[in-house]
Amino acid sequence: MALLHEIDYGTPASRSQQLVTLDIDGKSVTVPAGTSLMRAAVEAGVSVPKLCATDSMDAFGSCRLCLVEVEGRRGTPASCTTLAEPGMKVKTQSPKLAKLRKGVMELYISDHPLDCLTCGANGNCELQDMAGVVGLRDVRYGYDGDNHFNKQSARFVDKDNSNPYFSFEPAKCIACSRCVRACEEVQGTFALTIQGRGFDSMVSAGGMDFLDSECVSCGACVQACPTATLIEKSVLEKGQGEHSVITTCAYCGVGCSFKAEMQGSEVVRMVPYKDGGANHGHSCVKGRFAWGYTTHKDRILNPMIRAKITDPWKEVSWDEAIQHAASEFKRIQAKYGKDSVGGITSSRCTNEETYLVQKLIRAGFGNNNTDTCARVCHSPTGYGLKTTLGTSAGTQTFDSVYDTDVMLVIGANPTDAHPVFASSMKSRLIAGAKLIVIDPREIDLVKTAHIKADFHLQLRPGTNVAMINSLAHVIVTEGLLADEYIAERCDDAAFNKWRDFIALPKNSPEAMESATGVPAELVRGAARLYAKGPNSAIYYGLGVTEHSQGSTMVMGMANLAMACGQIGRMGVGVNPLRGQNNVQGACDMGSFPHEYPGYRHVSDDATRELFEHAWGVKLEKEPGLRIPNMFDAAVEGTFKGIYVQGEDISQSDPNTQHVQKALGSMECVVVQDLFLNETAMWAHVFLPGCSFLEKDGTFTNAERRISPVRKAMAPKNGMADWEITMALSNALGYPMHYNHPSEIMDEIARLTPTFKGVSYKKLDEMGSVQWPCNDAAPEGTPIMHINGFVRGKGNFVITEFVPTDERVTGKFPLILTTGRILSQYNVGAQTRRTENNVWHAEDKLDLHPHDAEHRGIRDGDLVSIQSRAGEITLNARISERMQPGVVYTTFHHAMSGANVVTTEFSDWATNCPEYKVTAVEVRLAKKESDWQQHYREQRVLTTRIGSPVAGD
Amino acid sequence: MVHMANQIALNFSAYPREEAIGHVAKHLKDFWEPRMRKQLHAYVAQGGAELHELVKEAEKRLK
Amino acid sequence: MKLFVPCDMAALSVGADAVARAISEQIATRRLDATVVRNGSRGLFWLEPLVEVETAKGRVAYGPVTVESVASLFDAGFLDGKAHPLCLGLTEEIPYLKNQERLTFARCGIIDPLSLADYISRDGYKGLQNALKLKPEQIIEEVTNSGLRGRGGAGFPTGIKWKTVLGAPADQKYIVCNADEGDSGTFADRMIMEGDPFVLIEGMTIAGFAVGATSGYIYCRSEYPHAFKTLQRAIAIGYEKGYLGANAAGSGKHFDLEVRLGAGAYICGEETSLLESLEGKRGQIRPKPPLPAIEGLFGKPTVVNNVISLATVPIIIDKGAAYYKDFGMGRSRGTLTIQLAGNIKQGGLVEKAFGLTLRQAIYDFGGGTATGKKFRAVQVGGPLGAYFPDSLLDTPLDYEAFAAKKGLVGHGGVVVFDETVDLAKQARFAMEFCAIESCGKCTPCRIGSTRGVEVIDRIIANQDRKKNLEVLNDLCEVMLDGSLCALGGLTPYPVLSAVEHFKEDFHGTAA
Repeated sequence: MALLHEIDYGTPASRSQQLVTLDIDGKSVTVPAGTSLMRAAVEAGVSVPKLCATDSMDAFGSCRLCLVEVEGRRGTPASCTTLAEPGMKVKTQSPKLAKLRKGVMELYISDHPLDCLTCGANGNCELQDMAGVVGLRDVRYGYDGDNHFNKQSARFVDKDNSNPYFSFEPAKCIACSRCVRACEEVQGTFALTIQGRGFDSMVSAGGMDFLDSECVSCGACVQACPTATLIEKSVLEKGQGEHSVITTCAYCGVGCSFKAEMQGSEVVRMVPYKDGGANHGHSCVKGRFAWGYTTHKDRILNPMIRAKITDPWKEVSWDEAIQHAASEFKRIQAKYGKDSVGGITSSRCTNEETYLVQKLIRAGFGNNNTDTCARVCHSPTGYGLKTTLGTSAGTQTFDSVYDTDVMLVIGANPTDAHPVFASSMKSRLIAGAKLIVIDPREIDLVKTAHIKADFHLQLRPGTNVAMINSLAHVIVTEGLLADEYIAERCDDAAFNKWRDFIALPKNSPEAMESATGVPAELVRGAARLYAKGPNSAIYYGLGVTEHSQGSTMVMGMANLAMACGQIGRMGVGVNPLRGQNNVQGACDMGSFPHEYPGYRHVSDDATRELFEHAWGVKLEKEPGLRIPNMFDAAVEGTFKGIYVQGEDISQSDPNTQHVQKALGSMECVVVQDLFLNETAMWAHVFLPGCSFLEKDGTFTNAERRISPVRKAMAPKNGMADWEITMALSNALGYPMHYNHPSEIMDEIARLTPTFKGVSYKKLDEMGSVQWPCNDAAPEGTPIMHINGFVRGKGNFVITEFVPTDERVTGKFPLILTTGRILSQYNVGAQTRRTENNVWHAEDKLDLHPHDAEHRGIRDGDLVSIQSRAGEITLNARISERMQPGVVYTTFHHAMSGANVVTTEFSDWATNCPEYKVTAVEVRLAKKESDWQQHYREQRVLTTRIGSPVAGD
Repeated sequence: MVHMANQIALNFSAYPREEAIGHVAKHLKDFWEPRMRKQLHAYVAQGGAELHELVKEAEKRLK
Repeated sequence: MKLFVPCDMAALSVGADAVARAISEQIATRRLDATVVRNGSRGLFWLEPLVEVETAKGRVAYGPVTVESVASLFDAGFLDGKAHPLCLGLTEEIPYLKNQERLTFARCGIIDPLSLADYISRDGYKGLQNALKLKPEQIIEEVTNSGLRGRGGAGFPTGIKWKTVLGAPADQKYIVCNADEGDSGTFADRMIMEGDPFVLIEGMTIAGFAVGATSGYIYCRSEYPHAFKTLQRAIAIGYEKGYLGANAAGSGKHFDLEVRLGAGAYICGEETSLLESLEGKRGQIRPKPPLPAIEGLFGKPTVVNNVISLATVPIIIDKGAAYYKDFGMGRSRGTLTIQLAGNIKQGGLVEKAFGLTLRQAIYDFGGGTATGKKFRAVQVGGPLGAYFPDSLLDTPLDYEAFAAKKGLVGHGGVVVFDETVDLAKQARFAMEFCAIESCGKCTPCRIGSTRGVEVIDRIIANQDRKKNLEVLNDLCEVMLDGSLCALGGLTPYPVLSAVEHFKEDFHGTAA
């Protein structure tokens, strides 16, 4: 594919159903009412010159290049701001228009440097293009007048290079405001403004440099800039790409579509793709810019093995490594039994890779000891939504948010963790939707530019179920139930039981106030607002799931939504915001120990036989070990070998010391990853993985959208991850043979009813597709449960509030909760190896001034955080976003050891760890914690790679 | 193990007793690996001192 | 016994407060039974401070009164309307005033601006009482039939604007009064706000009832602190006496009103920019469509009218469309509030039916130049109006007649220059004004105005004069046809008119 230039229609598409027909330059064109003349012209195949218009933002009408003539009207209206009307006759070219346009360009160029040949945007500059289009040959004003480009000019402002990824060169700015508008309309951050007026007008990041400003480095301004004023540093360095590869971002669960712009096999830049169903051309700092880790020097490119973890690694051939791993697994199974090994699939890998790993475990190892990192994030979502609604997935497509009147955001921090979707939310909120936030912290969404939550229910960590029950109590007791909806769609008996339970006085907001700490009146107000809708949607994240009652809370939300009739159409629903790129897919692909792809229980004979038949092997009908169970079994001595693909269990799972003890108890730990991650410190075999840019496959995002991942370059490690799993399986004696991941998808489609219609061909044609995709829905299913619930009747589940056993005591009087930040991703393996560190170089402990004062802690002090599981030290940050009694940290840096402190408590139904509630004490520290000191040494010892002297 | 089992019981405890026992038993069957169930049986055999009453009842149905 | 000393800024700026104090002192010292009323201005600025005394024959005027002359006035018995060198006779008989047709300004300068009783006693709130008997459509029909056109400058028929707002379905609508009076040589808005604020409040209330708006804002120029305060007080009185709020004037309808201080930029007088500013944003032009009547303040249907337009509504609804329409000529109906300023002997406000010629305004009312030197040019319609030479002075003040001569009536400001004026410098000033006041949104205005100054400088400096005049002409065309709003779009008017009518200043000997 050559370099892909998407058509820019100039103004956004109109959503009107009504059509108008008009005539543009003699061509008849029919467009939806509300379409601009500019867009209609593009539809008619006529392009009108423009500079300030681009179709990702509303018409602005400032550049005055797009003027046209309309028969029967005076003057020369701008085609971007003039709407098509039936029977209009529009002329886009005339001598008068040509003269005006040339005159406008002459003015533009009179204040623009003439360094085209050496300019970073050379070859991709709209100003240059327009000068060409209007035939500008002379600037009669000369260049000695007032200007912004001459260094001697009082108006000259030097280049701002503060952002690590792009530069801002005011001298080249044409003040079209596209960046300012992109920041407002596309991103919703309002970091940029036009400073001064008239000829003084200058784009400014609020009067400071970009890095110090509110800018979140999403790249929308860079993309919007028609000149080189805002431009990627990578383009400045390398030049323009020559071909594009459309692929899917490998960061969060939004699943943005990107164009990788390439020079040969080297990426020049990643540009969000306009046709991306999830992102519609928007991006965040991670997907847009933080791809440098793919070529980071830390990447391991050769397979390695070692006998003991204290040995240095020895680089070996692929064959040797695979054979070694296989023989070790066989040895262990022979010695300790078939169930003594297992594996972990990754939510960061493709569907095809995940599918192969669980297949290898079920068919190759012959047990069901497969699990995935979704265990530690969204396993309660699967359990809860399946139990109540019948599908282990969110109900909506992302775009549904544009029809939402009331957003209920629970335990999620979208602006940091799902920034691109957060932009859609913000745009809807700015347009007037109401917002309820349930979160112990004052997340950004509670109060940000032009947005203020109508309710912020700042509850104590661990009391979600108390909160959801009291919200439901208000619905039930104040006559706010959607009676007709319930009668028609839900199970009567279950509903009646639930209603009687919820109506109990113990579930009232007043009674629960002592648990949640939230004034009952606020809870009542929020409940009424949610019930009123008309379209109310729940969006939630790990603040819901990562609790001892994570599954209960998921069911509680589904109950609430059903009770108010808020499932089954646009604008409503219960929507998990998935943490990683392929959490949904990893779950869909049968990574969990108790279910096959498509969420079918291993004990179901018909399903098992289907797989036995397809895979040609007898399968185990009992569920296997879940990740925490594997650790327990390892410590107990019955679990001895593990194959870990793309997950860093050592850093990401709770109670690190327990995990590391478990890993240390195993005889064969095989890690497949890009880097020598924390888990690899305990590994015996290291299989280098490849990045998303180096392989084909698919990711499934939080809205069930299956999007293609396309190979932009050959695997730097020599093998794609699916090939590695295949080789290992073959070496284990269970043959697998696929020529291409598309064949794996074909197998998945054959064996999984909800994927029946999915194929690479369809993905190429449609761009992406949302499952279920089958004969009933060949083009996929953006909204679930439209004509009734997947499970038949909606199932109300009784959600008793059972307080967690993790309680504050005199010794551990504070609650620690954890979360993410925008610039870093998860365990940080990727983002820490990019310039994103300028925003977040270390994890800090946030605490309320009151708690800090009490302990004599000042901002920046080194503090120790101690729980009954362990102790770490971090630097403190005093923050009023916290409520007193609650402290917070992120977990992006391995050396922080956030999970040294978290405990083994977990969700009762799924064992999803209770990361969000840990009782701790915080005090001033003089030095780093013992654990950190020890770990630092351990890391040096266990990550040595074969020195020539030690050799063989 | 005991903590996990008791948590399951507590979360079903608001259901009528008979129904609750059924839910607990099904949950243990659907999600617990045989090794864990074996530990449970062994613990009950030793008296099951710390176990929630619903778990004890459910355990009987798993045999 | 009542004495009237204006509290209008025009009077205050020439010492009216000190005069009022001096008069009060005299009253006290002389133990006289007299009260000083602070009224608005009659608009005879060369006579300010114009002190009036109520007599049996009517109000007798004295002016311009200075502090020094106060004692002598008392001595001369001016409380009884007796003769004095400053005596001007009965106010109503002063020809400047007598020859006017004061409809909108019927009360201005006569009453105490903050006396609701004064207001009501002189036909105040009669319009609103009539309006309450009419359906919204009927009110709008009256306004439409009166021929009232936007007095801010654009001359758009007010009734049509209102009808659009009435027809736009919305949960909230607004009435916004544009009181950002920024044209050079204009003061009519200010005079009404300072001299008869209730007429504006009444007009806005009627507008609210007519279009279904329950909330109104007055966007008052920041340089008008006095008008701002007067409005604030008047609004407070309106609420207190039940003319505003939940049951405005006993109508059973809601109408809230608030006055906001402007952002100090000329561009904020442009309606869309004004709305942006009122919303708390940067005062920048919005493209139209959408029209403010459809998506205005906070995205809701909004009537944006000038002070004079709104203040004229009560008399139309009081006396009927026919009465008002009877004044004027052609498509310009009713009266125009001409504001005479610049180099003129008798500056002030002249409310007169459309059709008066420029010459009549300047000579019959204005009395010619203040310096007594020969008249050379007049700029009508603010800083963006065309410069007319003597040969065009017989143009009647009428929207269409002015347009035909490439000029504009605008807000009715008339600024006179004598023979010492250099029109090349005036043309440069027009571009410079545009450069200073440009919001910076559209290219022709943002860059063009700066380039315009440079090109005119080159012409003045006799550099490549022929080529640069051509460039200036082309630039004016781009600004005229390409600008987003009237600021850039009208700046060529003064420039091109100067070049056309005063060629000699551009080809002269200056080097």
